[in-house]
Amino acid sequence: MTDAAHPQVVSRSPILDAVVQAPGALYLLAILSGVLAIWTPNFFSTANLANVALQVAVLTIVALGMTLVILTEGIDLSLGPLLGLCGVTAALLVTAGYPLPVAIGSALVIGMIFGAVNGTLVAVFGMPPFVVTLGTFGIAQSIATVLTKGDSVTSLPAYYRWFNDGVFFGIPVPIWTTLAAFALTWFLLYRTKFGRYVFAIGGNRRALILSGTRVNAYHIAVYIYAGLLAGIASFIMTARMNAAHPTIGLGLEFDAIAAVILGGTSFEKGRGGIVGTVIGALAVGVLRNGLNLLGVGTEWQVAIVGIVIIFAVGLDSMRKLNA
Amino acid sequence: MSVESVKIYSRWTSLDSDQLFVVISRLIALALLITALSLLSPHFLTWSNLINVLRQASLQFMMSAGLTIVVLTGGIDLSVGAILGLSACISASLISSGYVVIGIGSALLAGAVCGVVNGVIVTIARIPPFIATYGMLWIAFGLGYVFMKGEVIYGLPDTFRFIGAGFVGFLPVPVTVALVLLLVLHLMLHKTVLGRSIYAIGGNPDAARLSGMPVTQRLISVYALSGLLAGVAALVVIARLNAADSGLGEDLLLPAIAAVCLGGTSLFGGVGGIMGTAVGSLILAFILNGMNLLGVQTFWQSGVMGTIILISVLVDQLGGTRLVRQQ
Amino acid sequence: MDRRTFVKATLGAGSATALGALPQLTYAQAGKPATIAFFVKNVTNPFWKACRIGAEKAGKALGVTVETVAPTKPDNIEEQTRLVEDWIVKKPDAFVFVPVDYKALVPSIQKANTAGIPIINYNNKMTDVNVVTYVGSDDEVMEYEICKDLFKSMGGKGKVVHIDGVPAAITAQARKRGFERAVKETPGIEVLASQPGNYRRLPAVQVFENLMQRFPVIDAVVSANDDMAVGIAEALAAAGRGGKTKVIGIDGIPDATAAIAAGKMFATADFSGHDQAYLAVTAAVRNLRGQPVPKEMILPVVIVNKDNVNRFMKTPEDRDPPDWNTYASGKA
Repeated sequence: MTDAAHPQVVSRSPILDAVVQAPGALYLLAILSGVLAIWTPNFFSTANLANVALQVAVLTIVALGMTLVILTEGIDLSLGPLLGLCGVTAALLVTAGYPLPVAIGSALVIGMIFGAVNGTLVAVFGMPPFVVTLGTFGIAQSIATVLTKGDSVTSLPAYYRWFNDGVFFGIPVPIWTTLAAFALTWFLLYRTKFGRYVFAIGGNRRALILSGTRVNAYHIAVYIYAGLLAGIASFIMTARMNAAHPTIGLGLEFDAIAAVILGGTSFEKGRGGIVGTVIGALAVGVLRNGLNLLGVGTEWQVAIVGIVIIFAVGLDSMRKLNA
Repeated sequence: MSVESVKIYSRWTSLDSDQLFVVISRLIALALLITALSLLSPHFLTWSNLINVLRQASLQFMMSAGLTIVVLTGGIDLSVGAILGLSACISASLISSGYVVIGIGSALLAGAVCGVVNGVIVTIARIPPFIATYGMLWIAFGLGYVFMKGEVIYGLPDTFRFIGAGFVGFLPVPVTVALVLLLVLHLMLHKTVLGRSIYAIGGNPDAARLSGMPVTQRLISVYALSGLLAGVAALVVIARLNAADSGLGEDLLLPAIAAVCLGGTSLFGGVGGIMGTAVGSLILAFILNGMNLLGVQTFWQSGVMGTIILISVLVDQLGGTRLVRQQ
Repeated sequence: MDRRTFVKATLGAGSATALGALPQLTYAQAGKPATIAFFVKNVTNPFWKACRIGAEKAGKALGVTVETVAPTKPDNIEEQTRLVEDWIVKKPDAFVFVPVDYKALVPSIQKANTAGIPIINYNNKMTDVNVVTYVGSDDEVMEYEICKDLFKSMGGKGKVVHIDGVPAAITAQARKRGFERAVKETPGIEVLASQPGNYRRLPAVQVFENLMQRFPVIDAVVSANDDMAVGIAEALAAAGRGGKTKVIGIDGIPDATAAIAAGKMFATADFSGHDQAYLAVTAAVRNLRGQPVPKEMILPVVIVNKDNVNRFMKTPEDRDPPDWNTYASGKA
C-alpha cells in the first residue's frame, strides 16, 4: 500500500510491503472474521454482512473527516454532538414545513460553521485542538438539547427514510454515501494541493509557515471538512432511527478516533491515510457485531472492547519500532 | 506589578510568572463570578451554600488532580471516571460488609493498579496515552459491570460516612482532604525530583530522555498517582451518596478535563499546575451552583462549561503565556 | 440401484442438506429449547437487574432459555439499534423488548416484524409496530396516584420540587404528566422547580444539593424514580433536613424500601420490573405454544409506604412470581 504519506519507502515488493505496513486493524479484521466464520454460522450470511456495512457507514464517514484532522496533528472531539445538532436542525426544519434542500443545507452550514470556529481557534489563535473541540463539544451539545428540550424529533416525512433505506442499483444509499465520501476524501487528500498541505501541517508545520504559504486557510478548511462530513452522516443516522435525537452522536467522536488510530494513522508527524481508517471502522464494527453474535454478555463485551483496542494499537507500535 | 514583586511572589509560591498570571487571572474571574452571583441570587452568599459549593469543588478537584499531573507530562487520562467507578464499587462492597479499613485500602489499590497498567501501556507498549487510557476506560467500566452485576450497594457504616458528610472544625471533611491534597501535590510538583521531571517530560520529552532521566519509571508513577487519586475521590463519592453502582463514573470525565483546562494547564504538557486546577474546580463548581440557583435549565450546563473553557484558554493565549509547545 | 448405492446416496444427500442448512441454523432447528432475547436498557440501574431476575425465573419455570441483551453504553440508542439488527440475524424465538427511546427504535423493530420474530413489548410502550402484547404499568396513573396520596398527607398544600427522569423517555414524560395532573387538582401545592436528574443518583444529587440552597423550605420532593429519590433522601439527611421533607420515588428497589422502613423516604410505587419481565416472558412462551395472550397487560398501581413496606422487602430473587391468571383478562 503506497500513498503520499510514505514517499521514502522503497518498494521491493509491494505485496510484502502492504502486508508489513498493514495497520493492526487489518490483522484484527482478518482474525475476527476467521474466528467468527468458524464459531457462528450467522456471521458470513449476506444479511449480517450487509448489516455490518450499514452499521459502520456513519462511523466511517465521520472517521474520514477525523483522519484529516488527526493528520494535521489535531483532534476533533466535537464531531459527535455536532452530528446530533445537524440531525436535529434538519429534522426540525423539515417537520416545520421547510423544503428538504433548505433543511439539509442549513444542517450542513451549521456543521461547517462549527468546523470554521474550531479551525480558526486552532490555526489562528494557536489553541490546543483538544481543548477547543472540547469547548465546542459542550456548546453543540447544549444547543441541540435545548432545541428539542431533550426529546427526540419525530413525525418526519416518509421520504426522509430514503437516506438510510433507499437503494440504488441494489446498493443501499448509506453505502453509496460512504463510497462517495471516501472518493471525495481520497481525491482531496492525494490529488490536490490541499491534501499535500494536510500532510505538511502535521509533518512539518514550521517549514510550511516559513515558506510563506497561507497555511491557516488550509488548516481551517480541514476542520470545516470534518464538520461537513459529520452533517452528511447525521442524515443517515436520523433516517435510521426515523427520529433525530440530540445526544445520538455522543461517544461517536471517540469511536471515530479509535477507528483512525487503529487504521494506522498516528497522532503525530502527519503519518497515515484513509484506507486504514475504513479498515479500522470495519474492524470495530465486526468486533461489536461478532461479540453480539457470539452472545457474549454485555458486561464482558465492554472489557473486551478495551482490551482489543489496546492490543491492536499495541501491535502497530511494536511493528513500527521494529520496522 | 513590578518585576521585583513578581519575583517575590514567584519564589514564595513556587509558581513561575506564567503560572502566576494564570492563577491570578482565574482568581479575578472567580471574584467577579462570586460578585455577580451574590447580586443575582439572595441564596448564594449564605454560609450553607458556600460550604455546599466548596464540598462539590473539593470532589471535582480530587478527580482533576491526578489528571492535571498526567496532562503536565503531555499525556491524558481518559479513564479517571471509569477508575473512580470501579474503585467505588470494590470498596463499597467491602465497606458495607464491615471491612472499613480494608475497603478504603482497596479503593486506593484498585486505582493505583489501573494507573500502573495505564502507565505501562503508555511507556513500554508505546501506545499513545489517548488510546491507552481510552482502552482502560472500557476495561474499567467492563470490570465494574461484571463485579456489580447490575446491583447497587447501599448503606455504609456511619464511621465511614464521616468522610463524606462529616466536618473537621467548620470545614467539611472533603474540603479538608482536598486542601491537604493540594498542598502535598503542589510541594511534590515544585520541590521534588519527581515533580521537576514531570515538568521536564512535558516540556521537552526528547531532552528529558537524553538527560538520562528514568522517564519510563516516572511516567508509570504519574499514571499510578492519577489512578490512586481517582480512588481517593471514589471514597468521598460513596461516602456522600451512601451508595455505589457501576454507572458512577459515567459523566465525570468531561468536567474533570474542564477543570484542568480552566486552571490553565496546557494539554501540550509542561505548563500549568495544581493551583490552577484548584481554582478551576472552584470556578466550575460555582458556575454549576449558580445555574441551579438561578433556575437555568440543566441543558445549558455543557454549553456554559464549553464556552468558559474556550474563553479561559483564549485569554491565556492572548495574555501570551507559553501554551503552545515550542516546536 | 442396489442397496449399498442407495444408502450411500441417501447419506450423501442427507449430509449435503445438513451442511447446506448450516448457515441458516436457528435456535429452534438446532433442537435446543426455545430462546428468548430479553432486552434491557442498561446494566447499571438495579431496576433492570430485577427485570432480568424475573425473566430468568420465568424462563426456568417454563423451560426456555432467556438471554439478556443490553447496550454497552447505558441507554445508547444507536447501540440498541445495532443489537436489534444483530439479534434478528440470530433468529431467536421471540424478543421481549423495552426500547431505550420509544420512537427511535421503531424502524429496527419494524425490521424484526418483517423477519417474523414475535415481539413482546414491556415497560415502555411502543407504537407503529406489531407486538404480541404490551406488559407494563400506566406511568401516568402511577405518578398521579402516588402524588395525590402524598399531597393528601400534606394537607393539600406545600412546596414541592420535581426531579424528572430522562426527558426523552416515555416513562419520564408520562410520569411528569401524572405529576402535573395531580398538581392541577391540588391548588394548595406550589411547584418550586422541575429539573431532570436523568434517572441516575449522582446527577440528581448534584442538582438537588444546589436546589436545597435555593429553597430553604421544601415540603416534598417528587422524584421520577427510586435511584434518584434515595440519593436525594440521603442528601437531605446529611443536611439535617431529613425530617422536614417528604420524598417519593417510583420503582420499589431494595434501598428504597429500606429507606421507607427507616423513615427516610415517604413512599414509592411498586413498579415491579420483576413482575413485568416474568409476565412478558410468560406471554412470549404462551404465544409460541399457541396459547391465548391478552393484547395488553397493565399492572395495577401499588403504593408502598411505611404501613405496608414489610411486604415489599423481598429481593427480586426471593420474590414470588406473579400469577398469570390475575392479568389474563388484560387489567388486574
